[in-house]
Amino acid sequence: MSSGIKIHCPDPAIRRSVESWLEEGRIEPPLPLGIDIHLQALPRRPDLPPPVFRQPGVTLHLLPPDNRLLISWETAPAVAELSSDDRCARVVLSPQAVEHIEESKRTFLLTVLIFLLRRVGWHHVHGGTAVDPTGRGWLFAGNSGSGKSTTTALVGTRGWAVGTDDIAFLAQTGERVEARSFRSRIGLRPGGQDLLARMGGVPLPDRGKVGYWPDELGGTWAPRVEPEIVMFTTVGDDSTRAERLGPGETLAELVRWSAWVVVEPGLAEQHLALLARLGRQSRAYRLSLGRDLFRHPDLLSELIR
Amino acid sequence: MTIRYRPHPDLRLSSLEGEGVALQLGTRRYFTVNKTGLVILEALATPRTLDELVAVVVERFEVTREQATTSVRGFLDRCREAELISELEGEG
Repeated sequence: MSSGIKIHCPDPAIRRSVESWLEEGRIEPPLPLGIDIHLQALPRRPDLPPPVFRQPGVTLHLLPPDNRLLISWETAPAVAELSSDDRCARVVLSPQAVEHIEESKRTFLLTVLIFLLRRVGWHHVHGGTAVDPTGRGWLFAGNSGSGKSTTTALVGTRGWAVGTDDIAFLAQTGERVEARSFRSRIGLRPGGQDLLARMGGVPLPDRGKVGYWPDELGGTWAPRVEPEIVMFTTVGDDSTRAERLGPGETLAELVRWSAWVVVEPGLAEQHLALLARLGRQSRAYRLSLGRDLFRHPDLLSELIR
Repeated sequence: MTIRYRPHPDLRLSSLEGEGVALQLGTRRYFTVNKTGLVILEALATPRTLDELVAVVVERFEVTREQATTSVRGFLDRCREAELISELEGEG
């Protein structure tokens, strides 16, 4: 199966590795995209402007004079460059980065993919997605450790369709916003495994988790989810609580969890409009996840009618 | 000398049911904006003076001119500090 993203690389093993990752993710962008990978040592760039954004392992710079985006990996020397209208990212991997190619997929190459997909109107949101048995789409947005993966795994055990536990792309489809899922295993930390009484799974050492496909949990995979309910999750105490958010708070939380909106001025307006559209089509809540959810796994559906 | 206010070139505004978020692309910060603030920022599509903005607020909300003046002045100060707006000085 082709991902719709063409990989160019002089090393067939690296090309195949990246292609396999994208094929597994089942991302099908609306227009052809490419990643052009060069393998070479990377010179130091002392002239780089200060980063405009930093996340674990990855920094972003806007290069003068035309605000070309430079994505830099900190684990091993690797960079990618993209202008706002590029449909192909130019990636340079150093020999050290090639040695860590698997690790790069969760951090550096994922960031490249996120910014490449922005060029075709798909905007990343740090969230999990699912569809409940009545057909309602849910988006669970929040930080790492906020319970997104455990919640998506839990609802998977109740027969919900699960799209992703943390990599979703918002895309406009007609008048609606859909969340397109990057297919990857739902990652559970040992605590989540215990709560769900789960054994087995595949170790995901780069995430410090154990991974399960939705169908291994009793659910199915949902490539597209149209969110009607948006939950901004945090881990709370014993009782699960949901507090309805007003429109301003909803919009601010969507900006917070789709934070790339602040990075590239040329794409900000489209991205903001998409978030506002999502806010209009959904009801948003601040969800404090309690341990009672594991004693009453249908509690979410009961809380949000 | 009259001071008119206008949106900062790095301001992007998004609204939902009368409330909004103001994004400052230069500083990469964002701010929630209530109904009154949104009306003021939207009114700045055309540069306006404090008095003109007060008139907009008095027309839209049930407030006295004095209350509106205090509220608009405070909001403009915060917006200027956050680089969401800038000032234009001119005659008349």
